[in-house]
Amino acid sequence: MKSYLLKYVLQVIPVLFIISFLVFFLIFIAGDPVALMISDNATPQQIEELRESLGLNEPFFVQYGLYMQGLLQGDFGTSFSYKQDALQIVLEKLPNTLLLGSLAMLIAIIIAIPLGILSATRQNTAWDLLISGASVIGKAIPNFWLAIMLILIFSVTFQLFPVSGSGTVMHLILPAFTLATGTAAELTRLIRSSMLEVLGQDYIRTAKSKGMSRSLITYRHAFRNCLAPVITITAMQASVIVSGAIITETVFAWPGMGQLLVKAISLRDMAVVQAVVFVSAFAIILLNFIADVAYRLIDPRIKYE
Amino acid sequence: MINRQKVLEVRHLQTQFRTEHGIVRSVDDVSFRLDAGEILGIVGESGCGKSVTSFSIMGLIEAPGEIAGGEIWLEEQELTKLSKRQLRKLQGKDMAMIFQEPLTSLNPLLTVGLQISEVLTRHKRLSKREVKEQSIAMLRQVGIPRPEQVYHAYPHELSGGMRQRVMIAIAISCGSKLLIADEPTTALDVTIQAQILKLMKELRDNLNTSIMLITHDLGVVAEMADRVIVMYAGQVVEEGDVYEIYRSPKHPYTKGLMNSTPKIEEVRRKLESIPGTVPVLSNMPSGCRFHPRCPVARDKCRAEAPQMKLLRPGVQVRCWLHQEGEVELNEEFKRRAAAGG
Amino acid sequence: MVHSHTEALKPEMSYEVARTIHPITRWMRLLLRSKTGTFGFVILVLVALTALLSVLLAPYDPTLLNARNRLVPPFWSDGGSMAHILGTDHLGRDILSRIIYGSQITLLVSGASVIISAVIGITLGVVCGYYGGGWFDAIVMRVVDANMAIPNILFMLVIVGVFGTSVPTLIVVLGITGWIAYTRLIRAEVLSLKEREFIRAARSIGTRDRTIMRKHILPNLISTCIVVSTLSVGGNIVLEASLSFLGLGIQPPIVTWGYMLNEGRDYIATSWWIATFPGVAIAVTVLGILFFGDWLRDVFDPKAQGRR
Repeated sequence: MKSYLLKYVLQVIPVLFIISFLVFFLIFIAGDPVALMISDNATPQQIEELRESLGLNEPFFVQYGLYMQGLLQGDFGTSFSYKQDALQIVLEKLPNTLLLGSLAMLIAIIIAIPLGILSATRQNTAWDLLISGASVIGKAIPNFWLAIMLILIFSVTFQLFPVSGSGTVMHLILPAFTLATGTAAELTRLIRSSMLEVLGQDYIRTAKSKGMSRSLITYRHAFRNCLAPVITITAMQASVIVSGAIITETVFAWPGMGQLLVKAISLRDMAVVQAVVFVSAFAIILLNFIADVAYRLIDPRIKYE
Repeated sequence: MINRQKVLEVRHLQTQFRTEHGIVRSVDDVSFRLDAGEILGIVGESGCGKSVTSFSIMGLIEAPGEIAGGEIWLEEQELTKLSKRQLRKLQGKDMAMIFQEPLTSLNPLLTVGLQISEVLTRHKRLSKREVKEQSIAMLRQVGIPRPEQVYHAYPHELSGGMRQRVMIAIAISCGSKLLIADEPTTALDVTIQAQILKLMKELRDNLNTSIMLITHDLGVVAEMADRVIVMYAGQVVEEGDVYEIYRSPKHPYTKGLMNSTPKIEEVRRKLESIPGTVPVLSNMPSGCRFHPRCPVARDKCRAEAPQMKLLRPGVQVRCWLHQEGEVELNEEFKRRAAAGG
Repeated sequence: MVHSHTEALKPEMSYEVARTIHPITRWMRLLLRSKTGTFGFVILVLVALTALLSVLLAPYDPTLLNARNRLVPPFWSDGGSMAHILGTDHLGRDILSRIIYGSQITLLVSGASVIISAVIGITLGVVCGYYGGGWFDAIVMRVVDANMAIPNILFMLVIVGVFGTSVPTLIVVLGITGWIAYTRLIRAEVLSLKEREFIRAARSIGTRDRTIMRKHILPNLISTCIVVSTLSVGGNIVLEASLSFLGLGIQPPIVTWGYMLNEGRDYIATSWWIATFPGVAIAVTVLGILFFGDWLRDVFDPKAQGRR
């Protein structure tokens, strides 16, 4: 277990390093942030002083060193638009995004598991066609359009849910469903195909030859063997959820990291942008790690080595 | 024969699959019987319908496949008439099966113990403790050392031979009278093969289990079986006593099979092979299904399909050669060679 | 069972079809066998034709403002007319014409960017797979991991935030974020291909690595590349539209479906059609691509048929 953890951490470090380099590189070529930070009627001398204090006159690698030094101490810079520590701002918005994202993930899983199993165990029936068709359509519909259509139907026409904003559970429902749809469609397809693959395995035939009931074969023998790939893909969907959150939060004015990011980019507030990138990358890496552990717990053939 | 009680009788079984290219009949008019305590060998090349026959008996044929005709009698019950639910009550209890690949036939995520005990829980009224005790007793009976530990092991922790023993333990745990073994030793090392075969013989001797042994290995059949059925392209082409079949095969195909198997006593003999391949089931040759590969085929063989002919009790063959009485196959081969050359 | 993908490229046909028929005929027969595949293909052809013939098809200039004809509903609604079949937007522009012209930028951006992704992704995938386990492979795979931790749209937003938005920028951005999909799959395939007899044979007679990669490995990857490219086009259409929707993509006066949605969003309470029709256009196009891509995958990998 210890060596496994160590190995995982050793793999994550270069990944974080590469992310930091990419982000720094982009911000470096983004050009001078000073113009945005300082009032228009500042004197050239004031600008020069600020440049000096920010280390912007140093060569690339020195700046990168300073930047990494800051990162390692948890310093992502100061947002010029909020006049506040960038990481602080992002962490304030994180719980909202986590709430929305995990609810969406939960909805997706609750929808996908029964539908995927039903579709596979009743292959080529009307059920299967209906579910497979719905999941392709669910994949094809872009979430920003789905969001607008849900608002049109449920908020504008039937007035069941608020159009946007936050505060109540009702505010959460439309964005969560918007976010869940794509993931639910993807997971349904995945569960269907891996169930079909498992149902063709020799050990399922053995279970049938033992006279086991249909439900025991479906759940104990087949679905368990699908869990490992399903968990891996579910974790990989975390990155899809983060992407979706950027759009969904913007459409529904949900005060999370995604909305913050879009605002920060239009303001060119790079400190906030990079903090969002790091926080979401960290969350995704963490979730994939949890999935990896779960994968190992489910499959006895994999040992911590 | 002391005991001639019938355990299994298959009558005119037809099993077919619906495919894109139409209906494919994998098993066509197969009949045989199996008595208590008897080992019946079923031999043939791959694709001849051996496995489909056994799956049909076990009720494992699923869409797009179906049993299109015939009867399967397991003791007093006709299986083709039963519903899925009724069949499930018999599967694992009155008939059991072991498969070719012990590696993939056990569920990798469940312990050996669970995989044995679930069949006991399914078919017997036992308490949890009794289930566990009996599962371990079964593991011990099939010669697994330290059964208490193996009970908690996962399949991947066991060797191939051990896994096949586990499969046998599962198969006999509910006291099934019929054991269908589909190539049970093909995937195993030679030494392990011998152990598994010995184990199966012991089961027959001790529990009077009837065994249907499906294999393409004539050596295994010679060692194990009392009677032999030879299948070709979905049909039975020859049936007989194991000694009879080895001493004087009646069907040219059987003879071809024999000649392509090495024998210990004939070290320097050149192995022969049967020319050609098993026909595709969707595209059967006319007449006798073997005629394109048969060295002694005549015009009649190409035009008309032969029926099963009873030569004497227990010996049957599907070949035009023997329609007017038994013919010595070697003589016929020589005569043919002389006429041809 | 192992079979090379060049073999798989010539899909199994039932025996009644002679081997001598023209490849196009053979592919068409295969296509017609699948309802969803045919549907996808038809959609793709229609979208491509729309893009090519926009000038002929569009009833109006897509950027033509008409203050008197603002917010006209589609023809079947009250107040709608056949003059503007799908209605007009808040500036009086004809929605149908805008959708027709929007298909140009959609196909241009997604198609061109996929070519960039494919070139980068296939090259890296082949090299990484062929020299699997080496330092280059290790670095590229870490970059792939890093990319998996940053959602594409996040990365693209950052780049667009830095470089601004123009059609070429967007094509390059989509191109350099999309190669991962290729590299992962192709690397895995090359890793297993490399152990096959014909590659070993080529090596044992001293064929140069570059020749092996080009002449022996690459042809076996065609089916994978076609499938990944098809599905990537769909992914890029959605990404481009997402950026435009956020107002951080291609800017007016160029017409894009995503930006139409962005504008229509503000009028959703009163004029539903502005945001609805461009979305239908995106969804139907992507649906066509998904169906066509699934069909391609089934044809190339008959074993998986029906499972997907």
